[in-house]
Amino acid sequence: MSGEDCDVDRGDNDGQKSDKMFTLKKWNAVAMWSWDVECDTCAICRVQVMDACLRCQGESKKDSYGKQDCVVVWGECNHSFHFCCMSLWVKQNNRCPLCQQEWSIQRMGK
Amino acid sequence: MSALAKTSILTEEGGNQCRKRSLPSSEQCNKRSKTDDMSANEKKSNFSLLNPNNGTIKTNTSSMNKPGAATKKLIIKNFKSKPNLPENYQETTWSKLREAVIAIQTSKAIAYSLEELYQAVENMCSHKMASQLYVNLTNLVEAHVKANIEQFLSESMDRQVFLKRMDDCWRAHCRQMIMIRSIFLYLDRTYVLQNPSIHSIWDMGLDLFRHHIAMNTLVQTRTVDGLLLLIERERGGDAVDISLLKSLLRMLSDLQIYQKAFENKFLQATERLYAAEGQRLMRELAVPQYLAHVEKRLREENERLLHYLDPSTKWQLIHTVERQLLSEHLSGILSKGLETLMDGPRLSDLTTLYNLFSRVKDGLNELCNHFNAYIKKKGRTIVIEPERDKTMVAELLEFKEQLDHIVNTCFQRNDKFLYSMREAFEFFINQRQNKPAELIAKFVDVKLRAGNKEATEEELERLLDKIMVLFRFIHGKDVFEAFYKKDLAKRLLVGKSASVDAEKSMLSKLKQECGGGFTCKLEGMFKDMELSKDINITYKQHLTAMKEGGGLELSVYILTMGFWPTYAPVEVRLPIELTRHQDHFTKFYLAKHSGRKLQWQATLGHCVLRANFTQGNKELQVSLFQALVLLLFNDGDNLSFEEIKTATNIEEGELRRTLQSLACGKARVLTKAPRGREVDDTDHFSFNADFTNKLFRIKINQIQMKETSEEQKATEERVFQDRQYQIDAAIVRVMKMRKALSHNLLISELYNQLKFPVKPADLKKRIESLIDRDYMERDKDNPNQYNYVA
Ligand SMILES: [Zn+2]
Ligand SMILES: [Zn+2]
Ligand SMILES: [Zn+2]
Repeated sequence: MSGEDCDVDRGDNDGQKSDKMFTLKKWNAVAMWSWDVECDTCAICRVQVMDACLRCQGESKKDSYGKQDCVVVWGECNHSFHFCCMSLWVKQNNRCPLCQQEWSIQRMGK
Repeated sequence: MSALAKTSILTEEGGNQCRKRSLPSSEQCNKRSKTDDMSANEKKSNFSLLNPNNGTIKTNTSSMNKPGAATKKLIIKNFKSKPNLPENYQETTWSKLREAVIAIQTSKAIAYSLEELYQAVENMCSHKMASQLYVNLTNLVEAHVKANIEQFLSESMDRQVFLKRMDDCWRAHCRQMIMIRSIFLYLDRTYVLQNPSIHSIWDMGLDLFRHHIAMNTLVQTRTVDGLLLLIERERGGDAVDISLLKSLLRMLSDLQIYQKAFENKFLQATERLYAAEGQRLMRELAVPQYLAHVEKRLREENERLLHYLDPSTKWQLIHTVERQLLSEHLSGILSKGLETLMDGPRLSDLTTLYNLFSRVKDGLNELCNHFNAYIKKKGRTIVIEPERDKTMVAELLEFKEQLDHIVNTCFQRNDKFLYSMREAFEFFINQRQNKPAELIAKFVDVKLRAGNKEATEEELERLLDKIMVLFRFIHGKDVFEAFYKKDLAKRLLVGKSASVDAEKSMLSKLKQECGGGFTCKLEGMFKDMELSKDINITYKQHLTAMKEGGGLELSVYILTMGFWPTYAPVEVRLPIELTRHQDHFTKFYLAKHSGRKLQWQATLGHCVLRANFTQGNKELQVSLFQALVLLLFNDGDNLSFEEIKTATNIEEGELRRTLQSLACGKARVLTKAPRGREVDDTDHFSFNADFTNKLFRIKINQIQMKETSEEQKATEERVFQDRQYQIDAAIVRVMKMRKALSHNLLISELYNQLKFPVKPADLKKRIESLIDRDYMERDKDNPNQYNYVA
């Protein structure tokens, strides 16, 4: 973190700026997380990557929170798929289904 | 033929035998009981006039006479060696007896003692004069009975007088025969018993009475018509001589002509009467009165059976009344009155209706059909009219409760009615697409929201159970889920949920009803809330470690996209201070979760501001938008609408509502110029330094935009898009489990699993799509069979 952030924080301390009409004390923000993908839909199962892949949905395990187990995988080509879908796919064809480049994993969702 | 009819035949046979052999004196019975094991019943004599119960006994006696008679012969012991008799013994003795009989018949005093007469009979019998004695006695009785007919044949006679005279004659006959028999008892015991073809003295009397009086056409017609007239008058409400009726009907029974001479005519008259009465009263009376009348008629006819009719008439009589007053009018009664009774609800009338209808064939079927139609019709009016949407769910709950109550208390919890009610609910509630599901979800939201002090936890739980009953009928369960989710999100994010227990309880009810697949996203929302708590703790620890705490306290709810409702992303301009905090958190979060991105939801943010008024400090609880506007006044006063809009980049409509809440609402921390309730583009705003409020913490509510129909449409549309995925998932799930399945079996499995209405054609499309995507394949040999592809 840079020193600037600290200045902002410190500048807001109680008492120091009592001449201010409004001082922000608390911020309850809301953010939505999703996989950082170019395409929402897994090209293999055609389900949105935020949802569990079709096969995992089919399991419908009790007390599983769906996709937590069914993560996304990015290739070097930056295309992304359900990890489950891709692992089945590469058994037959080790190329990205979208760009035909040889498949190698760049990173996994977490 | 029913068992009842058979019984009546038995009765007749039994009666015949019994009469032939009837042994009226109890002395005789005592003797017999030493040797036979006789039933107590047989001890009772056959004298209707003396023993009002004899009609009910007839059936029991039939089998006992013959063996009893056989044994009898062996134990007669008054066997005396014959003394020599005077020459004219027979003549003189008979004339003595004859004199006595005539005295009895003419109600005069008897010159001899009964003992003497009895002895005379015994002696005659012992000297083989029994046969002649019997003939003589018969002739004597016959002459008397014959002579009696005259009084009944006169041209005109008042019916009442006629009946009375007939009754007197009958009673006199019985009285005389009893006395005569007690004198001739020995004859009855010996000669009659030894000769099966000979009537007992009593039966001989009956036989003669029947033959000479009762079977006379004129006399019989007059008697029966008179009786029918009396009954008709009694049915019409007049008081009549019941004992006369009873006595004469008993006479007909004793004479074995009740059925032939009376019963048929009586039943025909009954049928005619009630056919006409049913027609007339169905027109004249309201249904409850009509039902009460039917009940009254049935009660009266049962009393008639108790008081004077022969019990063998019961089945036919009651059946006739039921047929004419009920069976003929089943649908008439129901179409005329069921709706009013149900609307009331008039519970006691409904109970009467049910009880009466359960007596007749098809009665309950008809009732159940009309009940079903009533529910569908009334239920439809509750769900179909948009003006009633506000009260729809409450009305449905009330309607269901009322029907449950009716089925439980009036319809004896009849399963048939319970099923029918469910079928009807399911039918009408799905007559309107989506709306009932949406409103049920909203109803639950109101109940689960904090501040709902209406109910204790137990009451709330019970209410949720009732709502689940309605939910069960809904076909589009996913529509419910979508709206439920939207409200649940609001409750969770604004901390408005009344009780975690109640939330979890509702969730588990839904899960139980629809399975884990249905609730996994809703559960995911709760999980997100817990995870967010952990993240915020870790973040705070991180800030402390980095020595960056103090000042603004940021906490973030991290929601998983897909679990939650979709919120349109809104770009607003944040003060640099906020942006830095936001970026700082984002960096922290993404370092922990690679491959993710965060989308900040400005519309959902909330803030606590400290405000510095002339009268003192206050703490304001506001939305992020409200906070953004207020913070502008730190750097300048008297800002125009346009200036605020540019500085915050809040969408115009949203900004107008925000300013309204701050300058025109209850807590006016800003002042607006010119004054007024609406916010115009040309308005200017200033900090209201003179703001006062007795509270320190003040919540300024954001003015909520009414949920637009577009928003509702959007929610619905999302539901329909989701359905595709759900169908796909269900197909894969089924195929994975079954490996191979015929088309029809697959389709029926899918209908079991899917929680929304779907057409077979749509399923077919999804199957094709899954075949394209290599999830399954058509069987090479059987195109109607699918195989799962692993
Ligand atoms: Zn996939
Ligand atoms: Zn998966
Ligand atoms: Zn690629």
